[in-house]
Parts: sequence; structure tokens; C-alpha cells
Amino acid sequence: MARDRTILSAPETVLTARDAGLTGCTRCGRVWPEGTQTCGRCGARLHPVSTAGLQRVWAWWLAGLIFYIPANLYPMLRTATLGSSQQNTILGGVVELVAHHNYLVAGVVFVASIVIPIAKFFAIAYLALSVGHERRAGSHPHLRLYEVVEFIGRWSMIDVFVVAILSALVQLGAVASIHPGPAAASFALSVAFTMLSAQSFDPRLIWRGPAQAKDP
Amino acid sequence: MTDDLHPAELRASPAPNPIWTQLSVIWLVPLLALALTLGVAWKAYSDRGVLIEIDFADATGIRPGETPLKFREVDVGTVETVGFSPDLTSVRIGVRVDKHVAPYIDSEANFWLVRPQVSAQGISRLDTVLSGTFIEGYWDAEQKGEARTFQGLDKPPVAPDPSKGTWVELRAEDAGGLAEGAPILFRGVTVGRIQNLRLNDSDAGVTVDAFIEAPHDRRLTTTTRFWDTSGISVSLDATGVTLNMRSLASLVQGGIEFDTLSTGGTFVQNGFPYRLYPSADAAKASIFGNDLIDPPRFTLLFDDAIKGLERGAKVQFRGVEAGEVTDLSIKVQTDSLGTRYAQQQVIIALSPERLGLARDTDNEVVTEFLAGEVENGLRARIAGVGLLGSTLIVELTDVPDVPAQVMNLTAEPYPILPTAPAATNDLAASAEGIFKRIDALPIEQLMNSAIRTLDGISAVAESEDTRAVPGELNGLLAELRTLVDGLNAGGAADKTIAAIDGVTEAASSVLYEIEGLGETLKSTDEAAQAVAEMPLGEIGAKIDGILGDVRGMLGSEDAERLPRALSDTLEQTAALLDELRAGGAAEKLNGTLVAAQDAATAIAGASDRLPALTRKLEELVTTAEGLVASYGDRSAFNAEVLNSMRELRRATAAFGSLARMIERNPRAFILGR
Repeated sequence: MARDRTILSAPETVLTARDAGLTGCTRCGRVWPEGTQTCGRCGARLHPVSTAGLQRVWAWWLAGLIFYIPANLYPMLRTATLGSSQQNTILGGVVELVAHHNYLVAGVVFVASIVIPIAKFFAIAYLALSVGHERRAGSHPHLRLYEVVEFIGRWSMIDVFVVAILSALVQLGAVASIHPGPAAASFALSVAFTMLSAQSFDPRLIWRGPAQAKDP
Repeated sequence: MTDDLHPAELRASPAPNPIWTQLSVIWLVPLLALALTLGVAWKAYSDRGVLIEIDFADATGIRPGETPLKFREVDVGTVETVGFSPDLTSVRIGVRVDKHVAPYIDSEANFWLVRPQVSAQGISRLDTVLSGTFIEGYWDAEQKGEARTFQGLDKPPVAPDPSKGTWVELRAEDAGGLAEGAPILFRGVTVGRIQNLRLNDSDAGVTVDAFIEAPHDRRLTTTTRFWDTSGISVSLDATGVTLNMRSLASLVQGGIEFDTLSTGGTFVQNGFPYRLYPSADAAKASIFGNDLIDPPRFTLLFDDAIKGLERGAKVQFRGVEAGEVTDLSIKVQTDSLGTRYAQQQVIIALSPERLGLARDTDNEVVTEFLAGEVENGLRARIAGVGLLGSTLIVELTDVPDVPAQVMNLTAEPYPILPTAPAATNDLAASAEGIFKRIDALPIEQLMNSAIRTLDGISAVAESEDTRAVPGELNGLLAELRTLVDGLNAGGAADKTIAAIDGVTEAASSVLYEIEGLGETLKSTDEAAQAVAEMPLGEIGAKIDGILGDVRGMLGSEDAERLPRALSDTLEQTAALLDELRAGGAAEKLNGTLVAAQDAATAIAGASDRLPALTRKLEELVTTAEGLVASYGDRSAFNAEVLNSMRELRRATAAFGSLARMIERNPRAFILGR
């Protein structure tokens, strides 16, 4: 009871599965004794919590960041309308939309293509860096942050989808045609890599810090 | 509390692995990403073209990053920056040019903006309405060192590619109705355009560059002439009003036409100078072709007024056209006493070729040549040409007995040729005299008297008296016959001979009197022939002589100038002759002659007495003459007839055809056979 109370009322001291000699299944959540190879319930492979996985997070994160640079420097769309051709980068497109007073669309594009990816970079980096240093017990905000990042990451692809759909639909020859620019591929790769990065992050690590803090 | 004692908890940590052993292969992903990105970036950078800068007066429609630079309608670059020149007078456009093309862009490259254009020739480059303005450039395939800054052309060049035609230079006195881009026509077909209309630096003229497209430029030779066809020409003459207009474009923009009017020219190079004539007539009339582009000029100073001499008047060098008057003005001079007097200053331009020198002779050489001629007496003077001498020209000719003079070689602006007083206009004077004389001719009176004369002739011919002549003649012949019959009946040879002589005399005198009368002549001829068969040589010779005279008269060339009235008269005469024939005069005469022949046969028998007979015959002839004469004098009527006959004779002399016919076949005419 005391422990339960302790857990509820004093989150500074947390007993993690690892501390308890258990390994949690990342798919179904069932805990097994350390050394168990496969989850007896869902059959998923069990692997112990390790900071080694952070390497993958950083690797994907870096690859995503690298591709994010050309994604912003190169034009995303090439629009040819009656002989005049136009190329727009992501930010250029946003600025143009604002100039046309399409604030809503501009806001959507801006958030989906610029705010979210950048926020993701920062969020993943923050989560990865703070592994083992979470001083605040419980670390529920971190977990929530992680969940948000994982959920929202895919929405960054909205820009790529728009480009892909437009390219496929608007092929009217000389009247109007839209082609994806080099930034589209870069951006898609960047989003994919950041998603992989986020997925590589083992949320169990979030609890590492509070556990260590308790350790003395 | 040993229980409490237990070994210290083993605080063993695994030996730290070297960091590279902990590295996951996943790190290859960002490495690849980096390599890829860097690779793309490096490629983009290395493929990046060369930046050139072009200055334009304005940058209408140019957008950085979009406006292309085209070469032969292919994109070879894109405008990257649009800025200003340091002094803000022009727009400086930075263009990123494909690096494969950049080496060809040397200092001779031209750039211009392509926009839709509406001109007198129509609308062009409408495509740029949709595609937007672009910059077009032209450069050749030679790499003469890259240049990076250029001055853009204000308008598209007439011929971007100079190798596709020939540039020539046209020089005119004024631009007339010409405008930039005006077409150049060859027999109505547009074969080129003009550009760069500008004032001459040297003299008050206009120069324009003309581009003739290949292959039409092969029609250009050194003898080609260009003229201005701008606007409309209206001429009013006896045939009506003539309106001449080449094309709407040439009406608005002007136009130039050319043609090669003479052979013998050679093909021209770029920049060959031509003279631009103000009209086709001027171009075709001028004998100089392109000689007078920069001809040697000379000043003439005349003391006399030269009213009528005009700019463009011809200059003759010893009778050959050698130049023209290019300017007329007054020059005020001050003589040694300080008196001011005015002289007419005439500037002439001469063609060296026409002076007998080479075509491209230096002006100095021409001046030297003329200076030598001046020492030999060459002078300039005004002369009149044309039927009335109304057109004035300048004549360079040797004037005898003039005081020696030399050319003033240092005079400005041109050397001065000494002049001589205007020659008296002989031709004009004589022409005037001719006209005066023609005026003074009494043509009216002449005509009147001619008409009166012819009227008189007609009246005589038509008069009843004249018609009665044949009757009289018949009577005469009847009498003659009676006489001959009487002689025959007498049987005496002497009488017969005398009678024959009388007849002959009568016939010949009748003939003599009425020789102008055709058929009478013929019958006389017959008679003469008959008589000629008789041994009466002298008579025959006489008659022959008479006939010769008559023939000569009839054959005279005056026949060709036959007035109408005469013709009428002759018709009357012909009618008269018909009557004669119808009256049986010929038969009677024939009869007479047959009788005469009989008599002659008898005479032949008595030929042994011929010499005496001949003598007697002569006497008889004289008598017969007297008889006829007395017979002729017998009545005033006869005299009138004879006069009429003389008149008719003159008339008949002119009637060639009738006369010839009569000559050819007299018998048929008289006898109707």
C-alpha cells in the first residue's frame, strides 16, 4: 500500500520494470522476467531497454535533418501555365499564398511543412538528449510529447501528397502543368527519416531518469 | 550482526567498449544522406552557368528567376538579378547563362528584349503575350574571349544574323518619309529592312544602314541604285491623274526600292556606300550611279545673275555630262577698293570617271587635273540647253582668248574654278528666229490664192465652152479629112503631099496647143507614129521632140503634191476625154490617118522626087502652121480654149498616175480597146 501510495503521491521514486528485473513487451505491455526472448502473449520479440537504440534515433534524425535542407532550398513545385513557368520553394509558396490573402491555406502549409518538421527535430532531439536526465518524476510530459510527435509526424507528408496529387492531376499540356521539384523528394525523405527516428526512440527510456534518480 | 556482514556489493561495470564497436550500422544512413545531398549540391554548383550582365534602358516584363535568355529560340539562361547601373540610368540584368554556351558570348554578342510589337508591317511576337517578355541574344560561333558586361539593344536588330545577307550604307540628302525598319523592295518584293537612320557627321545628309537578306543580296552590284518610294506620288498630265503608292507599309514607314539598271558592276561587300535617290525617276535619270557619294566638289563664282540654274542641274565637261550642281548661294565679296559686290556661288560635284580618271581617284588628283586644264583655258560657264535654251547647265569647256587664270586651290570649302561669261545662246536665238520666220509666213494669203486658182481651174474645166472643144476638134478633123479627101480626089502627088503636110502640121499644132490633154496627146502620138512610118523624118523628129517634152512634163515629181481641187478638175478632164472618145473623134482621126497612109503609099511611089518633095513639104508645113495659126486666131473662143488647155496642161503635169497610164497604153485609152 505504501508503495502504491508512494507511486501515486511521490512520483520521484519510481519502480521501473527494469528495476524489478522485468522486461516489458513494447507491443502489448506484458512484462516478462529478464532474459525472456519472446512475449508469451503476443509473440513479439522482447528486447531489453538500452540506450544503444538512441544511436538509431540520432542516425535517422541526422539523415532527416540533412534532407530537410535541400527540401527548403529547392523548389517544391514547378507550375507551367500558358507558357509562363513558376517555381516555388516551400517558404516561397507560403509567402505567395499570404500575398494572395489565402491565410488559411498558407497557415496549413506553413504548419505542416515548416513548423511540424522543425518542431519534430527539436522534440526528438530533446527526448533523446534527456534520456537519463529526466529529473521530474513520472516524466509524463515527455511521454505525452513523444506520443504527439509520433502521431503528428505523418501529417508532414501532407505537402508531399499535395504535390503528388497535383502532379498527377494537372497535366493539361501547354495550358497548365505541374511537376514536382527536387524539394519534394527531399522533403518526403526528410519526413520519412524523422518518422523512423521517432519510432526508433524507445519510450521506456523516458522512465530511465527518474529510476536512476531514485537509485542514489 | 555478522548476518549484517556480507561482502560488499560488487560494483563491477563492464569494461567500456571502444566507441566504434558500439556504433550501429544505422549511422551509414545519415552518412549516405549527407553524401547524397552534398553530391547534389556540388553538381548544382558545378553546373551553374556564368553570370553575365546586360544593361537595358528598362526591364519591362523581366522577372528574376523566370525570364529566359534565348538563343535561336532556345533557352540558354535565366535572368537571376535585376538591378540598376551605378548611375541609375539603366537597368542591369544579371543572366545566368548555360556554361556550355557562355564561351561563345564574346564582346560582339548582341542582346535585346523580345516583346509583342505592333508596327506598320503588322503585329509580331504575339507569342510573348503569353510566354512573357524574354531576352534574346545573338552571337557567332567564334570564341573571341568571353565578355561579361553588355549593352542591350533598344530594339530587335533588323538582321540578328549578319551572315544571312549584306549590310550596305545608303546616303541621302534627307530622310524623306523613311522610318526605322522600313522595308527595302526589289520589284515590289520585300527583301530587307533599314535601320539606324542617322545624320551624317561630315555633311548635311542622312545615312541609313540597309540590310538585304540572302539570297537577294546577290542582286546588289556596284551599279545598283536605291531610291525612296515613301508616301504617295500624284501626277497630273494629259492622260489624267496618276496615283502611285507602293504599299501601306511604305506609306506609313517609308520604303526603299532598288534595281540594277546597268550591267558591269561587281558584287559588293558589307558596308558598301550607295546613294539614295529621292525618286525612281531621279535614280534612273542620273548617270552617275554611286559615283557622287563623296565626290570632288568645286566652287564657281559668277558675276552675272544665273536665274534658272537649279540644284541638280547638269555639269558638262567638254560636252559630256560629268557632274551636277549641288548648291547655289550668294557670296558677298569686297574688291580692292572696298566696294562690296555679290557673286553667285555655285557648288558643283564632279564624277572622276566622267572626267576620264579612275573611279576612285582622290579628290586631290582630280583637283590637280582640273588645275592643269584651267591653265590650258578650261573655264566654267553657264549655258542653255534644250530647244529654247530654257534649261541652264554649267559647262566646263575650253574658252578661247581668255585671260590666263589659275584655280584657287586653297579656297574654302572647295577649290574655285575660274569662270567665263555665259556664252551667247546661239541656239536659243536661232530657234527664236525660226519661229519668227514661221510666224511671218503669209500662210493665209497663200492658201487663199491657191484656193482661188483652183476654183478658176475648176470653173474653166466645168464650163460649157470647154466641153464644146471636142466638138470643135471634130469639126476641125472633119475639115481636115475633107481636105485630104479633096487632095486624094485630086490625084496629084504634090497636092496629096501638101495635104498630108497640112494635116500633119495641123495635127502637130493641135498637139502643141493641147499637149496637156491626155487623149489628144495619145491620138497625136498615133498620128505621129503613122506619120513616122512615112518617109517624113523631119516631121517625125519634130513630133518626137514635142512628145519628149510632154512626157517630161507628165513625169515631173510635182505630181505628188496634188491638191484636192486639182483632182476634181482632172476628173472633169477625164469626163471630157470620154466624151471625146464617144464622139468618134478617134475613128475619124484614124480614118484620116488611113487616108494619109494611102497618100503616103502614093508618095512612096514618087520617092524619086523626094528631095524636092521634102523642100516643098517644108514650105507646106510653114503654110500649114500659118493656116492653123490663122485658124487659131479666127475666134476669141478658140483662144480661150487654148488658154484653158495650157492651164490644164499644168494641172495634168501633176497628175502622175494618169500620165503614166497614158504613157503605157495610149491606144487603149483613146480607142477604148
